[in-house]
Amino acid sequence: MPLLDITGDVCPMTFVKVKMGLQQVPTPGTLTVRLKEEALKNVISSLKTEGHRVTNVSREEGIFLLEVTKGV
Amino acid sequence: MNEADYKELKKGGMMRQAEAGLFSVRLHVVGGRLATTQLRAIRDAADRFGRGEIHLTTRQGVEIPHIPQDALAALKHLLEPSGVGVGVCGPTVRTVTACQGRRVCPSGVIDSPELAGAVDRELYGKPVPHKFKVGVSGCVNNCMKAEENDVGIKGWIEPRWESPACTFCGVCQAVCPTKAIATSGDGRALLVDPALCIGCGDCITSCPTGSMREEIRGYRIFAGGKFGRRPSLGKRILGILRTKEDAMAAILGVLDFFREHGKPGERFGDTLQRTGFPALETFVEGRMGLP
Repeated sequence: MPLLDITGDVCPMTFVKVKMGLQQVPTPGTLTVRLKEEALKNVISSLKTEGHRVTNVSREEGIFLLEVTKGV
Repeated sequence: MNEADYKELKKGGMMRQAEAGLFSVRLHVVGGRLATTQLRAIRDAADRFGRGEIHLTTRQGVEIPHIPQDALAALKHLLEPSGVGVGVCGPTVRTVTACQGRRVCPSGVIDSPELAGAVDRELYGKPVPHKFKVGVSGCVNNCMKAEENDVGIKGWIEPRWESPACTFCGVCQAVCPTKAIATSGDGRALLVDPALCIGCGDCITSCPTGSMREEIRGYRIFAGGKFGRRPSLGKRILGILRTKEDAMAAILGVLDFFREHGKPGERFGDTLQRTGFPALETFVEGRMGLP
């Protein structure tokens, strides 16, 4: 599964990179996004708004891993 | 003209200037919203009777400075057709402030101009023991600074947790700005602490499974705030109110309490220092018919 690391980015680049990352993924498909806690709210809310789904969440030492299923 | 006459003029929005014989005329504005026709009328009045200057006040109001006393009546007359009235000062309910609210602002939870308009119609200029300011923020981002007002209102979202789809991923707890969400002892439920929750709805926006839902999208009342020489912030009172009518009833109740307990020249926050907040809450709940 492709992995996108945005732990070094801040809003709005987090949003832009996730959007571009999802463009590379076939539909239907999944993308794993690695992000910091600060980015959680904006990234998840924009994903939901754009019709994608967060299908799994895991955590490693303060970093979150979101499995994003691309919306059709 | 004697001091008593100046006082009466001031109550009616005519503010005596430092320069003798001139007045800054305060206008009646609600929530900082004016129609362009009204702006044109204000411009015309400032050009004709003043020095072509308009002052924007700290609380979304408008004043036309440099108006000679003998032009006050003609200025009122000129503004009248546009629907712009003259404002108030002194021990009265002052300009009601509001943000643009949910009809304009993507963050808006309540229609702030609508509530501000209702408060204005009911209370603007009404006599009270001391000046009384009401401000309405559409959400908890609080652009209108609810806690700086004698009564402040914020649009507020109360979350409710639902178990079936929750995976306990921890996102809601991570995004909560006040860490108001705790996991129950057995690890099978999430508990939102109403005392800590600030009504932002971030947990709802970011929940991946839709397990955090909106229970109430309503109004939260803050009482006793002021700025000036001795600033103090208003405190949250009552529960979350579901409707504009409930919010209005609460505001009317608060004002009645102030009329009953406030001393002349005493700001509401100081009245509350004497009476305590529980007395206010009991009084307002009684007025609203709440248990």
